[in-house]
Amino acid sequence: MIYLDYSATTPVGFEVLDTYNKTSKDFFGNPNSLHELGVKSKSLMNSATKQIAEILNINETEITYTSGATMANNMALIGLAMHNYKRGKHIIVSKLEHPSIYVICDYLESLGYEISYVNNDDEGLIDFEDLKKLIREDTILVSICAVNSELGIRQPLKMIRQIIKKENPNTVLHSDMTQAVGKVSISMHDVDLATFTAHKIYGPKGIGLLYKNNNIELTPILYGSGKTNMLNPGTPALPLIVAFSKALRLATTDIEKRERFIERLNLKIVDALKKYNGVMINKTKYSIPHILNISLRNIKAETFLHALEEFEIYVSSNTACSSATLSSSVMAVYDDKVRASSTLRISLSHLTTTDEINKFIMYFNEIYRKLSGLHN
Amino acid sequence: MEKVILIKYGELSTKKDNINFFLKKLKENILFVLDDLSVDIDYDLGRMFIHTKDNFDMVADRLKKVFGIHEINIGYIIESIDLEIIKDEVLNLLKEKEFKTFKVESKRSNKKLNTTSLLLSKNLGAYILKNIKGLKVDVKNPEVLLNVEYRIHNTLVYFDKIKGLGGYPVGTLGKGLLMLSGGIDSPVAGYLAMKRGVKIEAIYFESPPHTSVEAKNKVISLTKKLAQYNCNINLHIINFTEIQEAIYKNIPHDYLITIMRRMMYRISAIIANKRNAKILINGESIGQVASQTLTSMSAINEVVSIPVIRPLACFDKLDIIKIAKGINTYETSILPFEDCCTIFVPKHPVINPLKEKCSEYENLIPYKDLIYKAIKTHEVLNVKVKEESEFKDLL
Repeated sequence: MIYLDYSATTPVGFEVLDTYNKTSKDFFGNPNSLHELGVKSKSLMNSATKQIAEILNINETEITYTSGATMANNMALIGLAMHNYKRGKHIIVSKLEHPSIYVICDYLESLGYEISYVNNDDEGLIDFEDLKKLIREDTILVSICAVNSELGIRQPLKMIRQIIKKENPNTVLHSDMTQAVGKVSISMHDVDLATFTAHKIYGPKGIGLLYKNNNIELTPILYGSGKTNMLNPGTPALPLIVAFSKALRLATTDIEKRERFIERLNLKIVDALKKYNGVMINKTKYSIPHILNISLRNIKAETFLHALEEFEIYVSSNTACSSATLSSSVMAVYDDKVRASSTLRISLSHLTTTDEINKFIMYFNEIYRKLSGLHN
Repeated sequence: MEKVILIKYGELSTKKDNINFFLKKLKENILFVLDDLSVDIDYDLGRMFIHTKDNFDMVADRLKKVFGIHEINIGYIIESIDLEIIKDEVLNLLKEKEFKTFKVESKRSNKKLNTTSLLLSKNLGAYILKNIKGLKVDVKNPEVLLNVEYRIHNTLVYFDKIKGLGGYPVGTLGKGLLMLSGGIDSPVAGYLAMKRGVKIEAIYFESPPHTSVEAKNKVISLTKKLAQYNCNINLHIINFTEIQEAIYKNIPHDYLITIMRRMMYRISAIIANKRNAKILINGESIGQVASQTLTSMSAINEVVSIPVIRPLACFDKLDIIKIAKGINTYETSILPFEDCCTIFVPKHPVINPLKEKCSEYENLIPYKDLIYKAIKTHEVLNVKVKEESEFKDLL
């Protein structure tokens, strides 16, 4: 098997799974219980949270565990919108967001909120002038992902924050950092709210977190008992939390070394694929090497994906759900329907080997010749 | 030109003969918070210099938790006092920055320079205007504030001023014992005492099973938060159950709290004496509760001769909360676990206890024996800022 879809999800790390198992077995007490078993679990949970807080350089009280990125995005966007509806109903998002953000925005629109979509330049970078123009007195929130999931474009959040706060100090900046964490360095000082998930960093599925600066208030969207967190009440998923903490620690060591290695693999693929007439490389100077997006002329991405699958090679096409839709990110950057209609995403990891990439290039060639021949 | 972190001393600079003792301690305390980094520190009577290859912002962040520092600057040392060389070096620094308005502020400790600080600022400002196009001077609200200090052997240049905590280096004024309850006030009292240079140890009274392990853990985690300022803290944990139950069984309930506090004071004084602590510190604030009326305080205080410092005596609750939030103890303090002072609370505690009554009632229980026993069996934890997690394998 050659797995090249690490941006969709990652295999859980051996040590991480080990932590999950041990915690499930040895720390089954409810962290909300008063007796010794509960206190032991609570104490482990605090240590896990402390480790995450130290890695992200934030306060422990700024962490809310969620079931994953989608839940964290919901809590952040809906929670902030609800809390500030008297102050304003205007929200700005980029055109490079994950679909879950757009679905939440549609919902908020149906409640009477107004959504603006900020432009980006042809390298994918947020258009600062456009952002400045869009921010108003009643703009309560801007949401911009740190790294785009399809093209891997990285946004300069520090500068974006400066621009936002200069125009309106009350506007809150949220960033979905799902694709950034473990791949590039991130700073929570650049944002007010941020979304993370464990399964993209070799952690288990079903756990993520919302970073919320202590100065920001959100209206909860969930209600229940349990004293550990106001935003996500109930019994904390201790084994998942501890495993997440471990995964985060492992994923954030050696980021630069891993990035350099992945960059080499990325260039190798680009070098091999750029010679095909029917292949366009969708890469700008802000793309991170872990995510490589290409467009196929005259071949349906989904067909290509299934052809690769026959050799046990796994990649993504533009959207997992529907081949009829255009890739919104590719449209946002290249404004080219042909280019956006058939895209493949190859996503790499430090676990990827040079041998795997050589094989991928070889099979790509074979399939390309076969499928492009059909149309000639 | 070397990039360094500059430290300005606060009140320290008013010390004369023993200033070196203060500075040595300050250096020690700084090294403690930077112990995992490779740094070199040297100092003179005006400034301390931290040389490092690590991240300057991170180092500055940590220095914000060290008492005795008035101001932190990330700046540059120019190893020259030649005005022409200084001008060129300053220009090099400014060329890396993007800005439109600026202001120059000069300080001149080298009085041999035959000019005034104002003139030095003006000259340098004019030179910058001439050499970098499109700049303007703005004395009120400049984008870049350029500080230049003309010293005897070298020159310092820096831009941002980061406010330090002030106060005296912890440990320069001896040791005190903090009565730590787990509430909002006592950690703040400890913090303020440390700010004045007092190194603290802490004492906590527990009454299992009336109080829980969680209450104790809460106090340990509060101690850990204070330890950041104190370079680790010894926490003395006294098992108070037997004394408290004896009081509850034998003494009229309106005097419960008064007598209980007198016992705590006695025990604290003995521990303080053993540990060579010169004062007791607690979070009492005049009038806050029945045991903190002046009459109560006086009836409680009379059992010890050691000075009791109450940094919060004249603080309003809201002001205390503000500090507690600032030092990150508030969130922990408000966790709802029973402590010694909240169990066995009488319906109507006495507001004006009589000293004679106190001693009369106390003699109903063998308190000296009980105190002796409690001290003999007491537990001491050395609470470290950085402790290896007991869950290291899992994490």
